[in-house]
Amino acid sequence: MSTNKELKVVQYVPFKSFVHPSFWHSFTDIKLNIDKLEEAKKDIYGRYTYREDVGTVFEVDGTSFNKLPETEQYYINVKGTLINVNKLEDFKHSDKSILLNNSGEEVWLNVKSKAWITEPSRLINFFIYSYSDLKKYRYYYWFGFPCPNQPTVYINDEPVLITTIFNEQQLEQLNKGFNALDLTQRHYFTVTKNTNFVTVDCLSKILDAKKQVQSKNDINLSITYFAFTDPSCSTSPGWPMRLFIAALLEHCPDLYNTEINIIGLRYSANGSLQKSQVYNIKIPQTSETSGEGVGWVGWERNEKGALGPKLAVMSSSMDPIKLAESSSDLNMRLMKWRLVPDLDLDVMKRTKCLLLGAGTLGCHVARNLLNSKSIFAHIPMPGYPVGEDLMEEMYNNVKLVTDAIVEHDVIFLLLDSREARWLPTVIAALHGKIVINAALGFDSYLVMRHGVGLNAADAEGEGLRAATVPGGRLGCYFCNDVTAPGNTFAERTLDQQCTVTRPGVAAIAGALAVEMLAALLQHPLGVEAPAVYNPDNKEIDSGDDGVLGSIPHSIRGFLHSYQSVLPTCAKFKQCIACSDVVLNAYKDKGTEFLLKVFESGKHLERITGLEELHKSAELSDMLAFSDDEDQVNIDNE
Amino acid sequence: MDEFGITVEEFINAINEFKNVSDQINDGWRIYENKNEIHKSYLKKESFINFDLQGELTLCKVEYNIFYNISYAVPSFSFNVWKSNGTLLTLEEIRQLSFIHIKREDFYSVITQQEHPLFGRPYFIMHPCHTAKLLAQFKLNSRNIIVTFLSLITPLLKLELPLEYGL
Repeated sequence: MSTNKELKVVQYVPFKSFVHPSFWHSFTDIKLNIDKLEEAKKDIYGRYTYREDVGTVFEVDGTSFNKLPETEQYYINVKGTLINVNKLEDFKHSDKSILLNNSGEEVWLNVKSKAWITEPSRLINFFIYSYSDLKKYRYYYWFGFPCPNQPTVYINDEPVLITTIFNEQQLEQLNKGFNALDLTQRHYFTVTKNTNFVTVDCLSKILDAKKQVQSKNDINLSITYFAFTDPSCSTSPGWPMRLFIAALLEHCPDLYNTEINIIGLRYSANGSLQKSQVYNIKIPQTSETSGEGVGWVGWERNEKGALGPKLAVMSSSMDPIKLAESSSDLNMRLMKWRLVPDLDLDVMKRTKCLLLGAGTLGCHVARNLLNSKSIFAHIPMPGYPVGEDLMEEMYNNVKLVTDAIVEHDVIFLLLDSREARWLPTVIAALHGKIVINAALGFDSYLVMRHGVGLNAADAEGEGLRAATVPGGRLGCYFCNDVTAPGNTFAERTLDQQCTVTRPGVAAIAGALAVEMLAALLQHPLGVEAPAVYNPDNKEIDSGDDGVLGSIPHSIRGFLHSYQSVLPTCAKFKQCIACSDVVLNAYKDKGTEFLLKVFESGKHLERITGLEELHKSAELSDMLAFSDDEDQVNIDNE
Repeated sequence: MDEFGITVEEFINAINEFKNVSDQINDGWRIYENKNEIHKSYLKKESFINFDLQGELTLCKVEYNIFYNISYAVPSFSFNVWKSNGTLLTLEEIRQLSFIHIKREDFYSVITQQEHPLFGRPYFIMHPCHTAKLLAQFKLNSRNIIVTFLSLITPLLKLELPLEYGL
């Protein structure tokens, strides 16, 4: 060989890992359902392509975990290992060189045993070292493609295109020969250029797997080309050639100080081989034997070019909550574009809702709101005296409920009794929070909003001539009552105590509650959005309507007749929950006041003056009757 | 307008014909046949594309599928684009790549991300409700309904459809 050619160290193009989203889906599925805490190594498959227009991409996908790999045109399958550890600390602190060396030793065993000659696929190995946080759908992973760092070989000048050595007819013969090879023999093979024809053979045809060491004289190096399917699309050869040379020299040590020709086979999309390259490799004289005691290289570099793991955060396409969020977000955006251009999406996203009660009603509301965080608290109730032992717990619960209400913008009352709604109503009124209240009867429901703020007295005197009640002055759940809530569970049978409702009722009431809030938030006046006394009154100015229409004060529905009515009422100045006197008593005396109420609801009747009212009107009998018939029916759930 | 719809058998024939042409011109479409549930057979093509993501050229993989929508009895189109770590590009990213040429409002009403009926993972799926209307106008003149269908989509997507399909 002429000496005026420039000798260059051969640089190999490393693999670049490319993970299909389905890989993480299968990975997660297997980890959660099969492996669980097991840290065993797993066989997986990866693949690279020898298409000249793709590059040294090394792919894994959902089928990588299959027992047998999927085959695809112009792709080479590689068997590898997944090493997943359970602890982040283990992932960080384990000895990375041992991992790489162990994987390399496996390859070298196949070289020593000559298995690579009969099964060339066993010369390439890869592994993925990973740690996954499955709750957050975060995957740390690091690919390794072990390769011995010896020997360094040189290339005589630039590699040449195959077309400079093979004519069209010979290329066609090469193409046919290659396609006749078994899939397991396509990683590495040989091409022989005879005078008349080109043959493609398995490695074992040229190399004798039975011999420990073979002489180069057995091989006619002038017509024999060692060949591999080349993932590279630049002038440099792909990673597999590095292993090939190391293995060839181990088998045939007298190739040192010689030159060999290696074909890097590359296919174009149209099936042409013309982009394939021929590398004329100069192997220097060396006293070192490769393999034993030789270091292994092959950790992939991450996006920053550093030797370190990569991270895939898959939550946006795997986390069910995120997926539900994005689809509901999309639904809202679509609504805005076509149907309700004035829809304020931010206020919907920003608003924090507190759901008190997590029964069927609470779950239906949560479903419509896509709510997620939960707290557990027993809500103290009027007429349920607190014993000494439970005093501390009661304080804690009041604090818990108060803090939660203060933190949120909207309070949904979805509790199962009238008395359980009292404390949250008082606290929410005191803090000026929006309250949406829903209650169920057997086949009836009530959904209503509470007026916000103090000064109920101002609501008086406007008279029934007004067509609407301003939102702030609407009554609360208790405003129509002239008795304080007490223990409604006392002296009831089980079916009376429990929520026995027709199955659709909770869904309907839950949906209406959420829609009522949505309409309220979208109304330009917000909580001050007025409610009309008589929705059928045609003279009412629809200027009071919001983006999503008018917002009633309350909806009472009856499945029995499939009808609903929209009663509106103003604040009652003697209300046992939202009246100034109650709010002020709570503000001034705090838990001391609460304790009295829990002792007996009568305390409320006393301070609001209802007791007086009863006496003066002598209404007691009639009221007792009304309590049973109307309120109780609708107070369950 | 006449009702439009093709049977599963028509769909299968059309994707087979289409795949034959694709093979001849190496366009890379593959058929994934489901012998037990024939309507779940589909066409798939994958390719690598370099995208400019925030000023950085990023290698992404794009997957296209043509599958049968049993409710609308029309071919349906879905796709996904992901980066090397497997994370999907968002719809907004894809739109901004001018990978798709369409106004924002129209875009979201035509393409939505949803769980794919065949793969059970999120994909961008072109809503089939307009497909029937559009295809109805071409049914009589269409030699292959898949080609006609794709030619209706290609103005939206940067999905080159070689002329050979029409020959």
